[in-house]
Amino acid sequence: MANKSGKAYGLTTLCPIVNEALGKQSFSALTRDRLEKLPIHEKSPLAKVPNTYLCRFFVLNDVFFEGKPANYEHLRSKYLVFTSNFHGDLDTYLRGMWQSAQQDVKDIWRFCVGFSKVNDADSFIDYIKKCQVKTTLFFNGSTDDPLHEQLKSLYLKQELSKFVYANQGKKPEDLQSAFKEFIERVQPTNLNGPTWRCGASTLESAVTHNEV
Amino acid sequence: MSNIAGKAYAMNVITPIKWYLRWINKVIFAIGDNARFLGGLLTLSLIHYARWTIVKPGEFPRLDSSQPKEDIKYSYMFFFSNFNGSWAQYVDSFSMAIPTGLNLFWFKDVKYPKSVPINPFHEYISDNQIWTNHYYSAYPMATSNDVKSAKKVKNALHVFIKDTEKATPAEFQKRYNRLLINLQHDLCQMAPTPIVSLAEAAITNRRKNHAKEN
Repeated sequence: MANKSGKAYGLTTLCPIVNEALGKQSFSALTRDRLEKLPIHEKSPLAKVPNTYLCRFFVLNDVFFEGKPANYEHLRSKYLVFTSNFHGDLDTYLRGMWQSAQQDVKDIWRFCVGFSKVNDADSFIDYIKKCQVKTTLFFNGSTDDPLHEQLKSLYLKQELSKFVYANQGKKPEDLQSAFKEFIERVQPTNLNGPTWRCGASTLESAVTHNEV
Repeated sequence: MSNIAGKAYAMNVITPIKWYLRWINKVIFAIGDNARFLGGLLTLSLIHYARWTIVKPGEFPRLDSSQPKEDIKYSYMFFFSNFNGSWAQYVDSFSMAIPTGLNLFWFKDVKYPKSVPINPFHEYISDNQIWTNHYYSAYPMATSNDVKSAKKVKNALHVFIKDTEKATPAEFQKRYNRLLINLQHDLCQMAPTPIVSLAEAAITNRRKNHAKEN
């Protein structure tokens, strides 16, 4: 199935926006405005959504004219395009999205056709599936592990790199002792922490002890 | 508006295909959906995830009778990519690494100039690109290679811990050195890049200007 590559899922949605306006601004302009004001990185509402690797929103105003002799044509609706790359199955992901970022979801999709009927996780899942278009080819150039495993791996890579740098040239006894302390601190099998923070954009905010 | 989330760049390219030629592209993608054909893409280790989606006129979602029905004639191919590095690096890498693959993926797209020479290809991608309004990465400081190498580091570390549980200091040192040799391509420290700062500065400035206007 082209929407999936292993356990990674590529969701593609085109959500039509109601062709009306509020005051002097069209609903599509308001939607774009809302998206551009969303906090970014660790403060993005998507940082709260379980298993999101990378995702994006944009407003599709129209299609492009390729120049003569191509057809000159226009879309009759504007679309909120939401695509996400995540781990797991679609229903679980969308349910997690509704449960963890419900208010943001309502704000983002507020002006979309049919979204007024969405009032719980089930209706949100139904709505998104109506807007979904099937991916023709999905390429996974990364891993398809659950996000908390990816984040723990990044944390371990970072900490081991620092450890190696800091412990160069030590005697075997001292190295072994330092490594024991290192393992106690980084807890390699504990996925809940310490680990890499979702959306971390600075080293100061990168490590968290109570993620997931 | 930002196509950048730390080290990741979001590319959105939308190109038309004549409706009666759409099936050829679909067949190519169907053949392409196997590891051997995707081998060329795998050499482009700068990609996190990418996808191609071909949408027929009748497949544009219509959720209510009040929504006008699309009357376009072309089908449209949506290409979405998440990659590391600059736009030019990515487009050039694509063009150089898998020129034939690109020509197959965009085989019958209207006015596709082919991936070589590079300048018309640049113009084609640039002319059909749409900017992202909100882009999120779970790990803005990590590249796709960081994510992949982190998995190797974690797995190797688990094995090493088990193997050295009862090791003498001398044995520990020997295995530790071997671990580092095996992980020499995977160990490095992640950090924000100047791209992060520039993107954030641009967003901050834009928001300040927006606030002033309002």
